[in-house]
Amino acid sequence: MAEITFDGVTKIFGDNIPAVDQLSLHVAEGEFMVLVGPSGCGKTTALRMLAGLEDITAGSLSIGGTVVNNVLPKDRDVAMVFQNYALYPHMTVAQNMGFALKIRGQSKGEVARKVGEAAAILRLTEYLDRRPKALSGGQRQRVAMGRAIVRSPQAFLMDEPLSNLDAQLRVEMRLEIARIQRLLGVATVYVTHDQIEAMTMGDRVAVMRGGRLQQCDTPQDLYDHPKNDFVAGFMGSPPMNLLRVGLETTDAGVALALGSQRLAIPASYATSHHLPRVDGPGVVFGVRPEDVEVRDGSSADSLTTRVERREALGAEILVHLSLVDVGGDNAIVVNDSGAVVARPTKLVAKMGPRSGVSVGDHLDVRLNPDHFHFFDADSGLSLRRGV
Amino acid sequence: MTTVLTPPTESGSHKEPPPLKPPPRRIGRWVLFGAMIVVAVIMLYPFFVMGVTSLKSESQFLSGGGFSWLSWSSLTSVIPVGQEVLSSTIVCSSSIFIILCVGLPAGFAFSKLRFRLSTVVFLVIVSAMMVPLQAILMPEFVNVTKLGLTGGYTGAILVYAALGTPFSVFLFTTYFRGVPDELIEAGIVDGLGYFGALWRLVLPIAVPAIATVTVLQFIQIWDDLLVGLLFIQNTSDRPITVGLAVLAAGRTTSIPELMAGSIISALPAMLVYLGFQRYLVKGLTMGIDR
Ligand SMILES: Nc1ncnc2c1ncn2[C@@H]1O[C@H](COP(=O)(O)OP(=O)(O)OP(=O)(O)O)[C@@H](O)[C@H]1O
Ligand SMILES: [Mg+2]
Repeated sequence: MAEITFDGVTKIFGDNIPAVDQLSLHVAEGEFMVLVGPSGCGKTTALRMLAGLEDITAGSLSIGGTVVNNVLPKDRDVAMVFQNYALYPHMTVAQNMGFALKIRGQSKGEVARKVGEAAAILRLTEYLDRRPKALSGGQRQRVAMGRAIVRSPQAFLMDEPLSNLDAQLRVEMRLEIARIQRLLGVATVYVTHDQIEAMTMGDRVAVMRGGRLQQCDTPQDLYDHPKNDFVAGFMGSPPMNLLRVGLETTDAGVALALGSQRLAIPASYATSHHLPRVDGPGVVFGVRPEDVEVRDGSSADSLTTRVERREALGAEILVHLSLVDVGGDNAIVVNDSGAVVARPTKLVAKMGPRSGVSVGDHLDVRLNPDHFHFFDADSGLSLRRGV
Repeated sequence: MTTVLTPPTESGSHKEPPPLKPPPRRIGRWVLFGAMIVVAVIMLYPFFVMGVTSLKSESQFLSGGGFSWLSWSSLTSVIPVGQEVLSSTIVCSSSIFIILCVGLPAGFAFSKLRFRLSTVVFLVIVSAMMVPLQAILMPEFVNVTKLGLTGGYTGAILVYAALGTPFSVFLFTTYFRGVPDELIEAGIVDGLGYFGALWRLVLPIAVPAIATVTVLQFIQIWDDLLVGLLFIQNTSDRPITVGLAVLAAGRTTSIPELMAGSIISALPAMLVYLGFQRYLVKGLTMGIDR
């Protein structure tokens, strides 16, 4: 058991574009850290550097307080679960799980005991004599986990271990992995591109983009206070509505200009946020789909919208809304070749399963004023003070 | 293991309406079966003749009637069969051992390690497969003679190993390219060094490739005459193929004895093939893929 520290870790492959750029991240002892981000953002590369499978171009990486930049993988004492499990095809489940112990010269009896314990935790006892070929996807996944946990390593590294499983099994294994990790209390770095896995499993979640760390926080903090528009748009399903809007002064104070409609910004935001000046470049305004509520009749704090599409998901309905009478900048703009380059301002709302909206309806919606988000129009950084 | 699956294509030759489809397929099977029997007969007939002929004495062979064990019992007095089979075995197994010892690690390196000029080196080695034996035989003979290695088996073993290694490097490289990198990496994270990975993971996984190289090289080397003839100069070290050639070249060659010798010489290659065939077909999909 140990803590893990990335300090300005950079990885540059041949092409001079950093795959991981100045990554600084601390994983505490026993912590479950999730690395999440879109494809190609460097998650796997970061994990492989930690495992020692990839050289570190710059920066320092330490496990348990020891810098491991030049330590061979076999001496790092970390266990890795690969996306395709990489089970040894010529060994039985028991041999697969016991292999690392055998290499380390532990006695037969001890190996068998540890494998037995791990198999019990993973409910694999009856499969110990099978070859990987004769196992289902979920069972192979558990063997891959087993191979990691028998070792009681300094850290677990997992690279999208659930991405090859079907949806139901994934939910099951998500809980299972989280349970086992809590049970063993080993520092874990878990890579995924699935933000639901990130939200549900991680003690903390590190969001990456283009090799750079965007934000590292608890799932709830990440959700409530994204540091930039990328994190805001990445975490949450459906993602946060992000609208690029101008600010205007009205009788009631500062308001958002959404086409011809105006939405008042509560005065408190002027103190909690660095809002840009009125009539300036504008801001990126964010509101989560669950904070878009239907109202009866229009009022000063509501927007008039039209239902464009509804997606019934069973427990909830996603309603795609477009602002009515947006005019100006927000209307559909078609370029020379006929492609749409701008759409009328759209919002997605999450509604209860029995809300009887249908396509074409006009709805007045209120955006929950307690949960507005503002981001800089250029840098995308949150305008909240003190972040 | 990556297997390239060709998508099932509509067979263009089937022009009949649907109800007629089953009969043509069945007929097709019978035609195929018949063709295979014909091929089998053509292939097996020489063995049959060899077998029957070897069971006659010289006079029975000439007159056509009767059977006897005479040519089998006299064979050992004509040529030292036992010694020659032993020579062949030593030469064959030593060469194959070298071929495997070089080919397997080389294939591993070419497919899994990144190093400068690896592609170029690989291509140079593999292109050596294109060079026919006859083209390099004389220069090779001069070299080996100058090194004084034509006495025992050493010269022949080295020449066979040199001839077989490019193919084996090629085969192992292709085979290991199909083994996911993660498998080796899993071993490395589990605590193996590169040599440990080679010995404890790669070797067991490579069994089908090892079997393939062994069988193909065994057949080739065991059946080869030219190299044995040239590079093994001691008559007492002759391999079986050379022994038979000498027998055949004699002034009073007994055909039944020659046939008996031929059977003895052909048998090991067949046995090796039959023994390893299981691994050739099997194994290539050992459940590495999912
Ligand atoms: N061996 C390599 N050589 C060159 N470039 C590489 C190599 N491995 C990864 N990269 C590049 O580094 C970047 C990050 O790759 P990485 O595999 O870490 O992404 P990822 O976040 O794991 O993506 P995914 O979610 O698709 O697995 C990519 O742009 C990729 O093209
Ligand atoms: Mg990846």
